[in-house]
Amino acid sequence: MKLLNVYRSEPSDDTKKLVEIVSEGRDVESFNLNVESPDYDALLDKVFTVDQTICWW
Amino acid sequence: MAKSLGIFVTSPQNMRHVMGITKAAKAKGSKVKVFFSWYGVHLTKCKEFPALCELADDVSICVDSYKNAGYDPADIPQGLEAKKMATQSQHGEIIEDYECYLTL
Amino acid sequence: MSKKVGFLLVNKEYTLDGIRSTLGLAVENMYSYAYVMNNELAELSDYHKENIEWVRDMEGEVYTTVDANVEKHGMVKITLEEIGKQLRDLEIIIPYGILRSDKS
Repeated sequence: MKLLNVYRSEPSDDTKKLVEIVSEGRDVESFNLNVESPDYDALLDKVFTVDQTICWW
Repeated sequence: MAKSLGIFVTSPQNMRHVMGITKAAKAKGSKVKVFFSWYGVHLTKCKEFPALCELADDVSICVDSYKNAGYDPADIPQGLEAKKMATQSQHGEIIEDYECYLTL
Repeated sequence: MSKKVGFLLVNKEYTLDGIRSTLGLAVENMYSYAYVMNNELAELSDYHKENIEWVRDMEGEVYTTVDANVEKHGMVKITLEEIGKQLRDLEIIIPYGILRSDKS
């Protein structure tokens, strides 16, 4: 199971906890959208290869 | 091979991401559907919204959300087809018919 | 096979509409769950009460981390850790709307 965690803003403590539980034992990647110029092309390369993407707040 | 992509938009803050991801996905040859619900419908008033409607394969909004956000359902956002003032079933279509799913 | 989806609702300006979206996918034949986290809801209209009941009728559920929502609105109590465990079994996870920094 390949999982991609995408962050739209700085994760809260609760978000971090959920990410930790959901990610445990899985093949996990992450991507931070909360930057000035996100590399959307690189994001999609990841989205297209994982089994599930979660866009956290 | 690019996969098809559905984007469910509920935040009024992410138009740059909606546009950026849609542009990048179309450049890769993906089919893209975007559905705006709740306060996400405020983004229909962004100047980029008509361009998004041109770029994506399918753009729709939740008409109940649009009304509840204070807009007149007769005031169809520029670029949107009238029949795309729709219901939550659009969200179901994204999940059932598209290979990848994003929430913004 | 029916998909399993979960809406994470952390902002009370978005929660009731998130429950409406939860119902929207339940009627599309999905197992649809709402998780109301860290926000207490005021009195609900009959319309919103019915939405919660319909989610249940369609084999979904509305969970909450907030005791007051259990007492006032009959939502099912859940902890953050339990939400995390349930999310592991869902195909679609929807962090809905925008995050609040406070925990009202």
